[in-house]
Amino acid sequence: MTVFLQNLINALQWGSFYAVIAIGYSMVYSILMLFNFAHGDIFMTGSYIGFGVATGLMALSAAGVIALPNWLILVLTLLISMVLTSFLGMFIERVGYRPLRDAPRASAAITGLMIGIILETGNLILLGAQRIKFPALVEPVTYDLGGVFVTNQKVLIVVVSLSLAMALHQFIRRTRWGMAMRAMAFDYVVVPLMGVPINKIAAMTFALGSGLAAAAGILFGVAYPVLDPYMGIVFGWKAFVAAILGGRGSILGATLAGFILGFIEIFVAMVFPSTLRDFIAYSIILLILVFRPYGLFGEPYSVRLRL
Amino acid sequence: MKKVFVVSVLLLASLVMVTAAVAQKAVTLKIGINAEITGDIPKVGEATKFAAQMWLEDVNKAGGIEVGGKKYKVELAIEDNESKAESAAKAATKLITVDDVIAIVGPQASKQAVPAGEVCNNYKTPMITGWSTNPNTTKDRPYVFRACFLDDFQGPALSIFAKGEYKFTKAAVLYDVASDYPKGLAEFFKKDWEKKNGPGSVVAYESFTTKDTDFSSQLTKIINSGAEFLFTPQYYNEVPLIVQQAKQLGWKKPILGSDSWASDELVKLCGKDCNGFFFVSHYASAGAKGATKEFIDRYKSKFGYVPDDVAALTWDAIGLIGQAIKNAGTITGDVKKDREAVRKALANTKNFPGITGTISFPPGSGDPIKCANIVKINDKGEFEFYKTACP
Amino acid sequence: MSTPKDIQSTPRRFGRLWRFFQEVPLLGWLTGALAAVLAEQFVGLDLAHLVDLPKIPVLFGFENALKKPELIPGTVLYILMIYLAPTLLVGRLLQLPANRVAGFLARRWPVASVVFHLALLYAVLHIWSDINDYRVIVVKITLIAVMLTLSLNVINGYMGEFSCSHPGFMALGAYAGSVVTIVLFTNSSMYGPAVLPPAIGPYLFPVALFVGGCVAAVGALAVAIPSFRTRGDYLAIISLAFTFIVKSLIENLEIVGGPRGMRGQPDWSNLPVVFVCTVVCVAVINNFVRSTHGLALNAVRDNEMAAEAMTINTQRTKMIAFLFSAFWAGVAGVLFAHVLRYVNPGTFGLQQLAEVLAMMYFGGLNSIYGSIVGAVSINLMSEMLRPLEIWKWILIPLLLILVMIFRPTGLIAFRDFDPVRLIQPKGKERSKLEA
Repeated sequence: MTVFLQNLINALQWGSFYAVIAIGYSMVYSILMLFNFAHGDIFMTGSYIGFGVATGLMALSAAGVIALPNWLILVLTLLISMVLTSFLGMFIERVGYRPLRDAPRASAAITGLMIGIILETGNLILLGAQRIKFPALVEPVTYDLGGVFVTNQKVLIVVVSLSLAMALHQFIRRTRWGMAMRAMAFDYVVVPLMGVPINKIAAMTFALGSGLAAAAGILFGVAYPVLDPYMGIVFGWKAFVAAILGGRGSILGATLAGFILGFIEIFVAMVFPSTLRDFIAYSIILLILVFRPYGLFGEPYSVRLRL
Repeated sequence: MKKVFVVSVLLLASLVMVTAAVAQKAVTLKIGINAEITGDIPKVGEATKFAAQMWLEDVNKAGGIEVGGKKYKVELAIEDNESKAESAAKAATKLITVDDVIAIVGPQASKQAVPAGEVCNNYKTPMITGWSTNPNTTKDRPYVFRACFLDDFQGPALSIFAKGEYKFTKAAVLYDVASDYPKGLAEFFKKDWEKKNGPGSVVAYESFTTKDTDFSSQLTKIINSGAEFLFTPQYYNEVPLIVQQAKQLGWKKPILGSDSWASDELVKLCGKDCNGFFFVSHYASAGAKGATKEFIDRYKSKFGYVPDDVAALTWDAIGLIGQAIKNAGTITGDVKKDREAVRKALANTKNFPGITGTISFPPGSGDPIKCANIVKINDKGEFEFYKTACP
Repeated sequence: MSTPKDIQSTPRRFGRLWRFFQEVPLLGWLTGALAAVLAEQFVGLDLAHLVDLPKIPVLFGFENALKKPELIPGTVLYILMIYLAPTLLVGRLLQLPANRVAGFLARRWPVASVVFHLALLYAVLHIWSDINDYRVIVVKITLIAVMLTLSLNVINGYMGEFSCSHPGFMALGAYAGSVVTIVLFTNSSMYGPAVLPPAIGPYLFPVALFVGGCVAAVGALAVAIPSFRTRGDYLAIISLAFTFIVKSLIENLEIVGGPRGMRGQPDWSNLPVVFVCTVVCVAVINNFVRSTHGLALNAVRDNEMAAEAMTINTQRTKMIAFLFSAFWAGVAGVLFAHVLRYVNPGTFGLQQLAEVLAMMYFGGLNSIYGSIVGAVSINLMSEMLRPLEIWKWILIPLLLILVMIFRPTGLIAFRDFDPVRLIQPKGKERSKLEA
């Protein structure tokens, strides 16, 4: 039982990463119908930006310019990096995706892939091959709850991820911008004719998605403090899986799919020999899709491939 | 018309320059470097490149390598294999047939080293890898060598140490199933441990996949298996994550590691969490003496960090080649003959004083005989020599 | 020396230049290229020394230009004199006889004409790569990439889905083919002595290729059956999951070496074999996409419901195309394994996937030309820009982004590939042929 509970907590933490990254991916995917293959690398860049901001703030604090407690540094790092990465996302949208708005979707996927490679290589050139340790903004404290170990980091990560997901959900449901986004997701062709500014919505979608990726990157840095330029690739592809698994146009679906992916990976390793983890985990996903081909919350739709 | 005139004058000028320059050509020895500069493991490529360049500097300061009473200048031809098997084979072919290298150092990772070894063996060009522990790399290939020790020696060395030092009987192993080095080591360790402590004495044998960062599920299993220590033959960038997560899940027992822990980065990334653990290493950077210390200090002052095992092994690999060239007798200028001579000299290497230990190649094999050091990470986070284990 | 002067001409004059060459048939160009590579074979080294190059420039001199700028004039001179001048001169000089021969062949034996052209193309490749073994391996890997890209184009271009399973198919093919050749024809430490005499092995290599292709096609069923129930992006993740699954499966199969991989494939993927396979692959895929099946496939892509209404069995059409594509990816995998003579599950991962996708979309959707151009240009580029080291991976992606922005469907998209038309004579002979 303790093993099960422990793994439940592990899976919550792991799943919340996938969830936050998948939401960002799902935004772009649902609203603009794009495979954003640069998303994993935006996540990586967000993490590095977070590293830069955090180190800077800590240096300021240590030099006595402004005395900041660690929790405030974390909050500031989160906010500043999210904003900076949002600009990066908007820039990527402007140069890599907007010119291809009317092109086949796959062309934009390729520009995304290439922008990802440029981000990775650029990072390698700028910072060298050295891996980077993310500063310990949250000193880990372990609580022993009758054999089940919980750290304050885990709690923090799950809480922040869930609140981000909820905030985004509210934004999409309650605000005019959110309504415009939902409308775009519903019909890509007619809605712009109704006066919805398509470029603004696209830029905003990318900004939100990238901001979330940055948040995930910083939370990742807190929990797994080793950063390297290629760390985003796997996350990008897994977010892709989770976004589609969740269903098009569903923030809740993407959140849930992220958690499901995390739970599958953790619990498969618990029950089966861990050597077979990927094999079994992805077979389960295959099976889910056989029975729910439009994802968990997706409505059947027909993609008009713009060829 | 004017343009035509200008162009023809330029062409003529270049032709004249050409003929003037043809005459002055001396034999320079080229050594190929086939490294993973981009791709999954850029750090490995960087260390390879840096160590090789440092070596080259030394050699050229001395005026080149002296063979048979004559000094020859040395050049490096560096190729990136992008951490891809086919690119490594291409790079090796290019180094051999285009650049006419006399010998090749690298690739370092087995995924690249095995196909590149095939190419080098076919073209009868000596190749030496610093890091690849896959038996396939050198097996039945008289032209391929390595500078590191093999898994089948390192695994048992560790199990003997754990048994002798702590009197443990129950072991847990956590390794990367998709990467051949950790997997091979884990298997050899398990085999040896179960031979000594009876079947089932490896109570948890868990794995993950390359690039994973969360090991909580596997570690939970390990913690609940009643193991007395954890052996994890992983790379230094993964070890900090494993150690930190284990501690956060309540693990308080020792963790043992392999030679892939040996990097300054380990301590930087791990903080205090790794202090007190043991691992097997080619060399210990703290308290190193003689040539090893000199190498570490120079590398550190030049590139800003303490060299990892790749750098040290590359240094030895290229040093072995340098020595072999020296021992080759004469340089004929016919690169095929020279390669043959270098291979012969390399195969006959006896007691080469490397910084990772004394290296000899047994007859008919490219796998060196060398001793391993057991190293402790002390409270200051330095790698301290603890014990030697010899085959 | 008319060539440098021509290069000097203003863009306006290019029109005249083009007219000067416009009646040269493919046969003429091929003969010209043959003359060029023969010239390189016989006088290349002397000429290289003459212009102060230490060796014959390996891949059109990019290496020299990027590493030692002082060699640029010599390299340019070399390229002009060895490649450009003979090709243009011989091509133009032989315009008349080449047209006659091409016309004669096209009227009498169209098949022989195709074979003749292919033989010439092979001769050019063979002689060119004979200079240096590095060229051989570059050509081999490039041809294999052509096969992979083409087969991916069947799904992603002609069928209009987004499949990510090509590394998986390739891995299945590579492993299945390797097991066949290693078990049957080699004495290996893994599977013991050879079952059949190794001497007959090369003749039975097609069997291994076929087995590899078939295993990949069977694997493709695992993707096709669940994903064809609906239209949408689900093929994308199902195929991605498939790639992960195959990789994980091979890592766990100790019998094929696990993560250590498998070594000792016999050296049968030589240049002629790879060339023949590529030609067969291009021919078969081209026939497939131009057949009723291929047209049905296009119909399914453009409007599945309408296609269904026009009595196309969409499920069957998609299934056949998918298995067909997987088959060729498997064959490419077998060849790949026998070129490197080593396979390892790590090779068939996300990096491979990104590469194949890039080559395919760069070259162009729905086009055989496109796939050939995409695979060849990206492969050659990544070899020629080697001296840039890490900057190569900034430059190539930038170039791809630019191409995508200005030609969103790829360089040469939606172009019909008609080999018979390609090898036709030009000018008067053509009118004769058409009459």
